[in-house]
Amino acid sequence: MLHGTHLARAGLLLCLVGLWQLLWVWGLPAYILSPVDILKHFFAALGSNELYQHIGASLLRSLPGFAIGTLLGIALGLLAGIARSFEQLLSPVIFLTYPVPKIVMLPLFMLWFGIGDLSKILIIALACFYPTFINAYYGAKSTPTLLVWSGLNLGAGNWQIFRKVVVPSALPLIFASLRVSLALSFIVMFATEMINAGSGLGHLIRIAESGLRFDLMYVSLVTIAILGYVGDHLLRLARRRVLAWQEPMA
Amino acid sequence: MSRLLPFVLIAAGLLGWELVARSGLWSPLLFPSLASIAYEFGLFLSRSDRLVEAWYSLYRALGGFALAAVVGVALGVLMGRSAFVAGLLEPVFSGTYAVPKLALFPIFIFVFGIGSLSKVALVFLECLYPIVIITSQGARSVERVLLWSAQNMGASRAEILRRIVIPATAPFIFAGFRVSLPVAMIVVVITEMISSADGLGYQVIYALSSLKTDRMLAIVVVIALLGWLLDRALVILRDRLVYWEKLETYYV
Repeated sequence: MLHGTHLARAGLLLCLVGLWQLLWVWGLPAYILSPVDILKHFFAALGSNELYQHIGASLLRSLPGFAIGTLLGIALGLLAGIARSFEQLLSPVIFLTYPVPKIVMLPLFMLWFGIGDLSKILIIALACFYPTFINAYYGAKSTPTLLVWSGLNLGAGNWQIFRKVVVPSALPLIFASLRVSLALSFIVMFATEMINAGSGLGHLIRIAESGLRFDLMYVSLVTIAILGYVGDHLLRLARRRVLAWQEPMA
Repeated sequence: MSRLLPFVLIAAGLLGWELVARSGLWSPLLFPSLASIAYEFGLFLSRSDRLVEAWYSLYRALGGFALAAVVGVALGVLMGRSAFVAGLLEPVFSGTYAVPKLALFPIFIFVFGIGSLSKVALVFLECLYPIVIITSQGARSVERVLLWSAQNMGASRAEILRRIVIPATAPFIFAGFRVSLPVAMIVVVITEMISSADGLGYQVIYALSSLKTDRMLAIVVVIALLGWLLDRALVILRDRLVYWEKLETYYV
């Protein structure tokens, strides 16, 4: 059964790529390259230095933003989950601003922090903060009371309860939100670079677009796809190690 | 006192902003006072040519979202109820989940043109993922006892789908909607900032380039308000339709 779906899956993929290539031979507009051409251009770009500089510039924006936003989100979320007064102070602000698209703050951040990397890093951090905060908060909040009581009964201190009971029971949700935040960090990074930047993959795709360099456009696209996929995979690997006791949900 | 506590931070923030704006330490270009933002906000609401801009953005966001909702729920239920479809499509969705679909936007511009269609297509694509993934999880976890009982009582497949699978999946479907509705607004604003001649995202960039910070912030408030109102409307609709299950998260 499993074997059958695997075959069907590979078959579907092959058919699609084959159809694409056939359509291209038959005649597609210039802005759609064939799969073979895309691969050719991608490997050619891998040989040059330019692509690595753009990748480096992009990662130097997205990774610090991701780290700052998620660390703050987890810390404050856990705190709000265990301290009632803190929760009351923070939750209305979070709750009011949660459905607001954070990217609209970019122009304001550009005014305050300049049009360089700092405003981009901060906007990425802001976007990554919300999912982790909410999930860490909810995870800490839904710690089974029985476990906390048992811990207290066995003579554990507050710090021990937090570290050995609250954090582990919040971890599955935190990891789920890290995946969301990682995807968000790439989206926001790409958006800020497309709006204004002098380097990075979003910038590359913009200059390729205005110069009608379709090959560069696809190179940038393939690169960002691979980066997103690899990042997601690394997170899932980390999750499997840290949450070895838990059955993966999806 | 504890009733007031929630609003302390908001009030302090607004007060701090106004103090900074009036202190004269920074140019009003960086910190426009609340009064001038409020004035621009009123101007926005009172002029029909500005309101039309909000309508453009709203119509792009809701158009893409509605398409994604229809296709996403159908695909999600299929993936949840059929192992074959799940095996076929699951790797596609989980493999490309973390890839920013925004990177496709330049290509979409060439394919669908620079108008609304390329933006609606991108909104559709970005909203599709959360809806499909969450709906398929829900459809998979329908209680087997319910399905067996229905089959035992002679319900047809269509009846089971309509009377059991869909209602049991409904909370998940709405959870997916709630994740993807803000995404729709985000994508619309981003694409309008990148390339457009109308819509709220364009107005933000336009106000920024004209150094009208107060107008820009007023439009930011409009976008924020729209995002918030859409979310509220969705929650109200959900509570109407899924009345048997309360939203358990605090942030509702």
